[in-house]
Amino acid sequence: MIRIDRVSRPRILHEVSFEARPGRVTGFLGPNGAGKTSTVRILLGLDRASTGTATINSQPYAALPRPLTVVGALLDGSGAHRARTARAHLRWLAASNALPRARVGEVLETVGLTEAAGRRAGRFSLGMSRRLGLAAALLGDPPVLVLDEPFNGLDPAGILWMREFLSRCAAEGRTVLLSSHLLDFPVDDVVVINRGRVAAHGTLAEVQGDHGSLEDAFLALTGAASW
Amino acid sequence: MVRAELSKLLGLPTAWIGLALGLIAAPALVLVNTPGMRQAIESGEVTDLGYENLGIGLLGALILGVVAVSSEYTSTGDDAPGAHQMTTTLLAMPRRSHLLLAKGAALSFVVAVQGALTASATVLLTQVMLPDHAPPFEPARVAAAVLYWTLLGLLAFAITLIFRNGIITLTVFIVNSSVVSVSYLLTKLTPWAAYLPDIVGAHMFLRTMPGETHIAPLTAGLVMTAWVAALLAAASYLFTRRPA
Repeated sequence: MIRIDRVSRPRILHEVSFEARPGRVTGFLGPNGAGKTSTVRILLGLDRASTGTATINSQPYAALPRPLTVVGALLDGSGAHRARTARAHLRWLAASNALPRARVGEVLETVGLTEAAGRRAGRFSLGMSRRLGLAAALLGDPPVLVLDEPFNGLDPAGILWMREFLSRCAAEGRTVLLSSHLLDFPVDDVVVINRGRVAAHGTLAEVQGDHGSLEDAFLALTGAASW
Repeated sequence: MVRAELSKLLGLPTAWIGLALGLIAAPALVLVNTPGMRQAIESGEVTDLGYENLGIGLLGALILGVVAVSSEYTSTGDDAPGAHQMTTTLLAMPRRSHLLLAKGAALSFVVAVQGALTASATVLLTQVMLPDHAPPFEPARVAAAVLYWTLLGLLAFAITLIFRNGIITLTVFIVNSSVVSVSYLLTKLTPWAAYLPDIVGAHMFLRTMPGETHIAPLTAGLVMTAWVAALLAAASYLFTRRPA
């Protein structure tokens, strides 16, 4: 369970509040620059909120003793140093959270990078980098997944794979929060953010309301219809 | 966490360049420098034979100290120019003070092991090359040289952490230690410059130093430790407060 409670940052976020619940994919949607990444970074303890709290299972991220076993996060890029092989990258990560080394091979297999395990991360294509980032997120088999723009850089097959993968994660009972400026993926709950404020929050049906489709609702809520 | 940081540091090709340089430079200098040392012996200026060649080994410690931090801040790829490994590191180890301790410990360990090997090899090699003149193998002096390297590694680590960029640290230290020593020039202006971190540390294992100021090894060690502690404190203050 993820809870964002009245999180603010000057000029970026204004009293942002929402929840993401277990067993559901929560889409955190908004135009570019709306505050999605800032919110995610505050949730993950990378940036600070000036006021408000962001917790995962009632704890701030930095208080989690072995965070990779609770939250898997996918942010921009592969997260690996260019000169490191995919395997070496995942190995130090496993060591940092006292995870068994065997997990490295398992997650490489899950994301389809077994063949590329010995290649340096700097030589990966965009899609492979994202897969490596996802492998790192899955290393601790976490019940919570936080993904910032996970579809960026994926080819159509990759997008399809990611969509199915996320639905499967939610079906397994995991909490899945994913931010995106795209709307083309299956969600259970929706949070729409615009200019640092939550414009709508609820189940897909609630947010769609009378708008007919999520696209129409999104455009109406964010005032981007002039496109 | 220390194990993770060790595996991270030793997984970097640049770290191995530092290790190789640190290991080879000082003993190689003994070999290259032997004729020069013979001359020096004939003219009677011998006090730190072997030990004086240890100074160059600091290159390895510097490089290791720098890459331990700079590798965290290099861009992970062209597709995401703002992304760096530090994000992954902080997601795995979000308590920043603990992370710094683990990093510092891993770095100190690697530099100390490397330093012990190099320093012993250098002094022993000097005994082989110049059996009649080389000073005896003094474990305490070798240990002092190793401590000097370790502290210098931590110094580079702290400065790189403050600037989040390895180029600045490397430029300052390499220019200062090879091309022209600004610290040394300053000692000509004021004797207090001898207490600058890079100069004072060498007093820990060298008995004769350029410049007039004589500083006892223990004092030198304490002064250098104080420098390193102060810079580490400043670096960790910034690191725990800045956004990643």
